[in-house]
Amino acid sequence: MSRRAAFSAQALAVLAALAARPSAWRHGYDLARETGLKSGTLYPILVRLADREIVQACWEEGEPAGRPRRHLYRLTSDGLAAATAALAAAPAPATRAARPGRAAVPRRLAGEGS
Amino acid sequence: MEQLTWMLAGMLRNAARLLPPGRRQWAEAVRAEAGQVPAGWPRLRWLVGGLWLVAGEAKMMRKVVYRLGAGALAAAAAWVVWLSWRTSAAADPQTVTDRVRVLVVAAALVVLPWVGRRRGWFGPAGSSITARLVRLAGCAAVCGLGVAVVRMDSHLGLGPHRPGPFSLPREIAALALLGAALAALTVGKARWPDDPGLWNFLSGFAGVLMFAVVPLQALAIVYVAGILAATSRRSPVANVSLAIGTITGLAAGLAVGLAVYADISDRYTDLLVLGVVAMVFLLAALAGVAAAWLLSGIEDPQELRAARTHQGLLAGSVAGAVCGLLATNFSVGAVVMMVIGPLAGAAGGALGGIVAAEHPRPSRSARSWAAGLFVSH
Repeated sequence: MSRRAAFSAQALAVLAALAARPSAWRHGYDLARETGLKSGTLYPILVRLADREIVQACWEEGEPAGRPRRHLYRLTSDGLAAATAALAAAPAPATRAARPGRAAVPRRLAGEGS
Repeated sequence: MEQLTWMLAGMLRNAARLLPPGRRQWAEAVRAEAGQVPAGWPRLRWLVGGLWLVAGEAKMMRKVVYRLGAGALAAAAAWVVWLSWRTSAAADPQTVTDRVRVLVVAAALVVLPWVGRRRGWFGPAGSSITARLVRLAGCAAVCGLGVAVVRMDSHLGLGPHRPGPFSLPREIAALALLGAALAALTVGKARWPDDPGLWNFLSGFAGVLMFAVVPLQALAIVYVAGILAATSRRSPVANVSLAIGTITGLAAGLAVGLAVYADISDRYTDLLVLGVVAMVFLLAALAGVAAAWLLSGIEDPQELRAARTHQGLLAGSVAGAVCGLLATNFSVGAVVMMVIGPLAGAAGGALGGIVAAEHPRPSRSARSWAAGLFVSH
């Protein structure tokens, strides 16, 4: 991507959660618990990240017993590079531990989306 | 609680249909996860978040606001027409003539939402809140013109603002002729596009003719077109120029409105008009200076100078037009300000823009912070 872009603090938190286990497929509730974001915040971020091909999304394969199929997410290879760069440029660590119960990073951090 | 959760899940399932096919999976994803969220408030909040996602992705707020706005405009137009029929006796030809004016303004307002949504000079509306507010308030002010005409009718014979000696058949015939002329121009321009200069000249001529025959209708239509053009995405008016011009115009219009109602002897009317024009010129010049100085983002000095002059002119024109529209809303007797205002404003704004372009303030890019100290290069 040639355009410089800024990630919000919440987007950085999602990127940090995904980048922690880049090869694993994660589901929405799992990400929501890890980042402390509400569904109304988390999913629009995932939509934007998927639009920018930073995140890839797919439906769980097969028919799991007792629950519906889940929508799963992980970083693309370009997305991993973008997330790493953005998290390195962010002034505060995007982890939940810094501020329990909420997204840990300041309200808006200007990172670089490469 | 369970019933509420069940209801919200159903709402989310149905609301997903509002999304484009490529986006529906996201609403379904939220619903699929809901079963994993602890029952009670957490699950409820999760589903509400899903509805929020749908509202955002379906651009529902924009659609709702657009429909409410269109409905409000149609209601306002209908109210003005009803008011016009209610307030005075039908036999008076001047009153009937004014009803035709009201109908023209109402028709212009009803087609506004349609014209404003089409991609082109007039729409869609600019993304800034300033552009949207100015568009909304401008349309309301044009609607206010209809109310001002009705109000004048209700006070017919009182005060100095008597309507002129108009005739209904002449106005209708003139409107029909002008409509035919404009249609002929449009068809001719589309069919023989080789000579755009000629068609532009003929269009300008038709406009001048229309203004000479039916001034208030022509002005209302020109203002509607101007409001839409100045607030559309393609508008050449920078956001800051639009804001400064509008605020200046509101102040000037308020002053003119108060002056119209002031008990001033007829002997001083000319002096008053001169004073008003000078005030609009000066305020527009200030608006032009401010708009030009606040313009940034252009590196080339020549280009920046030209752009500043241009934005000064536009800010001044906006200020003059807003002043004219507001003053005419106060009293139809001040309708001349709808012509003089933009002209005086454009002149003042251009002067302000030129002054600002010749005396530029230091560019922001030429300054920086270094080692905690502010330095200028």
